[in-house]
Amino acid sequence: MGEDWPMNHLHYIGVLLFIGLCGVGVNVFFKTGLARRWRIFLITDLLILALYTAWDSWAIYKRNWYFDPAQILGAKVLFSIPIEEILFFIVVPFTTVATYLALKKLTGWERDRK
Amino acid sequence: MIYSDIALDAVLIAVIFDLFILRSQMVTRGLFWLSYGLILPFQLLTNWWLTSKLIVMYTPASIIGRRLAGAPIEDLLFGFSMILLTLSLWDYFSNRAQS
Repeated sequence: MGEDWPMNHLHYIGVLLFIGLCGVGVNVFFKTGLARRWRIFLITDLLILALYTAWDSWAIYKRNWYFDPAQILGAKVLFSIPIEEILFFIVVPFTTVATYLALKKLTGWERDRK
Repeated sequence: MIYSDIALDAVLIAVIFDLFILRSQMVTRGLFWLSYGLILPFQLLTNWWLTSKLIVMYTPASIIGRRLAGAPIEDLLFGFSMILLTLSLWDYFSNRAQS
């Protein structure tokens, strides 16, 4: 367990910021068009959120895994899931789709698919 | 080893959705594997950060105990399932919106 210094509480959210900024950078640099298709991303991510927060809340309840309270913000969303976990299931799919679209453009593969 | 079991199930479910329900056929496409190959090192990097600093910890009884980049090996299955399902859903809804 880390010592309870204020900056330590950013250790998890900082990782998400890094992943999210990678995604934003990829989208802007490669002009992936992801922002234009935000509705498709929204429905995709709502399903991911439903599935993986269910798993996460159950695993936290069963204590399969747990978090150092000194290194997370401390805000809990439904079913006592740290806010960082919810954001993880938004930020990681976002950067995943960004990567996919950028590579699709870069390689020129599968032009027939969206 | 409950995490191991669920992680395996998650991969199975993602593959079934990909091949038979959403029919996005991601696991047969080079673009998917290229994307996964690029994302995987970043997963290992963030896994290492989250586990070596003990931000996230695992109950030993819930995992088989083998670790990669600090995190339980099961995390690879979890990550793969989420990336596959995300891209599979994205592909499915993109094609629906197109037609």
